[in-house]
Amino acid sequence: MLRGAEITLACLRAEGVELVFGYPGGAIMPLYDALDGSGIRHVLTRHEQGAVFAAEGYARVTGEVGVAIATSGPGATNLITGIADAKMDSVPLVCITGQVRSPLIGTDAFQETDVFGVTLSLTKWSRLVRTLDEIPEVIAEGFHWARSGRPGPVVIDIPTDLLKAKKEFSGPVKFTPHARPAGAKAEGGFTDTIVAMLQAAKKPVALVGAGAKLSGAIPDLRRLFDHLNIPSFATVHGLGAIPPEAPHYLGMVGMHGTRAANTALHETDLLLVFGARLDDRVTGEPTRFAPHAKIVHFEIDPAQLDRVRPCDLAVIGNLADTIPAFEAELRRHRSLPDFKEWRGVACGAERAELDPRGLAQPTIRFLDELFSRLPEDSVVIADVGQHQMWAAQRYRSSSPRGFITSGGLGAMGFALPAAVGVQLAKPDTCVLCVSGDGGFQMNIQELATVHRLNLPIKLVIIDNKYLGMVRQWQQLFYERNYAETDLSDNPDFVEIAKAYRIHSFRMKEDTMREFPVSNETGDQIDRFLNSTEPELLVFDCAPEANVYPMVPAGAALSEMLLEEEPAE
Amino acid sequence: MQVFQIHYRNTQGTLMRILNAASRRGLDLPWVQAGPAAHDHQVALELDVNSKQVGQLYREWYAIADVIHVGSGAAPAQAQEWNGAHPPAGVPMQEGRSAARA
Repeated sequence: MLRGAEITLACLRAEGVELVFGYPGGAIMPLYDALDGSGIRHVLTRHEQGAVFAAEGYARVTGEVGVAIATSGPGATNLITGIADAKMDSVPLVCITGQVRSPLIGTDAFQETDVFGVTLSLTKWSRLVRTLDEIPEVIAEGFHWARSGRPGPVVIDIPTDLLKAKKEFSGPVKFTPHARPAGAKAEGGFTDTIVAMLQAAKKPVALVGAGAKLSGAIPDLRRLFDHLNIPSFATVHGLGAIPPEAPHYLGMVGMHGTRAANTALHETDLLLVFGARLDDRVTGEPTRFAPHAKIVHFEIDPAQLDRVRPCDLAVIGNLADTIPAFEAELRRHRSLPDFKEWRGVACGAERAELDPRGLAQPTIRFLDELFSRLPEDSVVIADVGQHQMWAAQRYRSSSPRGFITSGGLGAMGFALPAAVGVQLAKPDTCVLCVSGDGGFQMNIQELATVHRLNLPIKLVIIDNKYLGMVRQWQQLFYERNYAETDLSDNPDFVEIAKAYRIHSFRMKEDTMREFPVSNETGDQIDRFLNSTEPELLVFDCAPEANVYPMVPAGAALSEMLLEEEPAE
Repeated sequence: MQVFQIHYRNTQGTLMRILNAASRRGLDLPWVQAGPAAHDHQVALELDVNSKQVGQLYREWYAIADVIHVGSGAAPAQAQEWNGAHPPAGVPMQEGRSAARA
């Protein structure tokens, strides 16, 4: 006879779970009581949001399902932001929440929340477990949906009495999915159509998003892009899919994308999209997005099609199937036009010249120094805000899972706990966590987790003493009315880190004014990156430094602001 | 107005997910009818939607784990009026308790 809690853990083990993140509480106590000897390592975070972001970090860097555990009521509601984040960014995540005793459900009992209802629109699948017997089936099905198709978050809510109750356990079960509706798959012959479109095109481009990375089709995608040899670019979640040194690669596209990428996307007459949602941060004003282009959309999730602009050809299916099929077919039979002239314009020196890489301000130079000294297989985790976009612009990684950030939801406070999950998944990898002074304080308590586990995460705070991205918008679009974005009374982060027994130091912006940086500064950065213990580096950033290029809200990609307008 | 018929397995939350696809877009739900149909369940919804939303709704409904089929048709005849007590209130407290005991 096993308790429901033991059955739950056995089923998690059967799904391959070795590491979970969580925070105990009343209704989930039976599960915690059963952890010892379960074969599952539990990492205690200092807030449930820390647990779910850590689970996300683990999932994003490994591709495996991340697991977060919380108690009922406030424990479960503290998971909400992470669940929404996982939905937006297609992260496989299973959240196990304790629920009040079955007879008390619906009575507004102590710490009772309708977690199933609250998370319904944020999850890919969810269940409130009603009997002890169904625990194995529910867990098997939950993991299936979390990791299948377009991955996403799952919530399994288990009343505490079921976790305590005992029954004979005959072992975990396998879930066999129901037959899905027909028609949601790429039709054969799409290659002919695309080749015809390419032959008619003068200015084709290719855009890659997270879907290509999630599918595992990166080697095929790279071969395909080399064969197509047309200007290419990536969304923030597509970064790393195309090697930055590829001659056709123009960098990140969208609101803070490169001038070259945004210009090419605006001018194109044929846009090939590989696993990207085309959300508003990528398209700018949707009605003026790629105005001359026909669109071919390779996508696993039909729900993502036509959200912003109808596509001319949808290739539905796992990109792990459709990209190799397309690539192989092209190589076998087709000769494509050479778009040399268009490549020359789109990837040429004239546009690269005005790329922000040539206009480095001290903070950008600081990030360049950091990134250039990182080992090749490092993972950079960025929080949300200006530093996120600077990091996305500057970190040029060839690793598909080398840059991790909360892109769709844009959840401040993501980076520090996510870095915990990444470092635990990749203990021998250099993990660099870049945050702003605002976001860092949203989950600052996870320094305690970092310290307890002695995780050698390299923590960086870009401290401009503002909520910088909001302030930038206030400056540009609200006549410098810096309403409630001033953080000039920030705590001393160096002292705070010391209180958590984490070594920390501050670096002044002036250290980056000379180029190349002094040996002393370079050595300081090297020591920081090579430390075998957690370290915090606080970089003083100019309060009014802005991120450029920038496409203002409601503008077309071609209307990006390239730099500060001179003061009148 | 357009009516959508959606076949689904009547698992926890599936009907709510179907309805949520409409409500998250701010669409009114003037008429909804759900119940068993053959081996599964069916819900019919009347919605005021544009062509772009139709495509989005179809795809979003199909993305729900237990949705089997989505179809659409013309607006229904007037929905049958609800004849039951609504709201089921106004029963004196004492009477209610007696009823409960009975």
